[in-house]
Amino acid sequence: MTVKVRFFARFRELLGTDILVEKKGTPVVLALVKEIAQKKKDGYDAIFDEKGNFHEFVIVMRNGKRLEPAETATVNVADGDEIAVFPPVAGG
Amino acid sequence: MLSERELDRYKRQILLFGEEGQEKLKKAKIFIAGAGGLGSPISIYLAVAGIGTITIVDMDVVERTNLNRQILHNDRDIGKKKTVSAVEKLREINPDITIKAIDTTIDETNVARLVGSSSGIVDAMDNFPTRYLLNETAVKKNIPLFHGAIRGLYGQATTVIPGVTPCLKCIFPKAPPKEVFPVVGVTPGFIGMIQATEVIKFLIRDGRLLTGRLFIWDGLEAHAEEICVERDPKCPVCGGSHAPAKKVVKNPAKSPVRKKK
Repeated sequence: MTVKVRFFARFRELLGTDILVEKKGTPVVLALVKEIAQKKKDGYDAIFDEKGNFHEFVIVMRNGKRLEPAETATVNVADGDEIAVFPPVAGG
Repeated sequence: MLSERELDRYKRQILLFGEEGQEKLKKAKIFIAGAGGLGSPISIYLAVAGIGTITIVDMDVVERTNLNRQILHNDRDIGKKKTVSAVEKLREINPDITIKAIDTTIDETNVARLVGSSSGIVDAMDNFPTRYLLNETAVKKNIPLFHGAIRGLYGQATTVIPGVTPCLKCIFPKAPPKEVFPVVGVTPGFIGMIQATEVIKFLIRDGRLLTGRLFIWDGLEAHAEEICVERDPKCPVCGGSHAPAKKVVKNPAKSPVRKKK
């Protein structure tokens, strides 16, 4: 199966975007994103906390639908899925 | 009634909104929280558009480091209260409207009083704790909230219609970490214009608002994106007892009055 992972804003700068992942199995969203992010430490640290969960402010979407932080560890990706990972900003 | 002077001043936009639309802008009372990077372009453009009453709140003093983005303030204003500088500029920009500037820190004890009976609240803050306060007030008072935030060349915006759209807490349950954020003036300029456009559309009841959608701007890529956002039924702000009774999901700006020719 093929899944597209899209990183936005700062995450894109650190990790690139529109990353196509080809997999034999169907990992959970958290594991899939982690595997990509692990390739670059500052990218990984920007997205994940020390326990390996998404930082609580990070927005994760699967096919345009928001996933709760807990769901990212239980929802499996399927062929053709698009996963978006977005860091909200706070400045003004 | 619009004066001859006002009819003249707003001639080119009356072509768009009609006199009736311009009257709506004149009657409106808009609350802008912050006279900084976002608050500067937002207040300037809402002032020139003829929003009848603009209240702008800030507690800071103009510093040199503000001047790369806070276009309401000039070099000669360094050391001056931002509210004083804002009133001077906005009155010069449009003497036909009322400008109220309040020099205070928005907190839980004064936010309801400050917002009063505004037609809309513009989020031009630089931190999430105050944004959450504005959001709670917007939901409690059933007043639209026009959200914007920026960092570097990135920005986001959305429009919250209490009881209809997700509130800010539904969309951002947890605040991004506090930081001294990098920024170049064009980004709050860009996002501020999205917010000001939303305010005008809301007031004249035209177009399709940025409701249920989070607009995301990537200035580095020159790429805009939007993601659908939904109400959280468990939201502590709008999902529980504070939620207004109305349930009809309807974009108020889609209904009545199109432009008068």
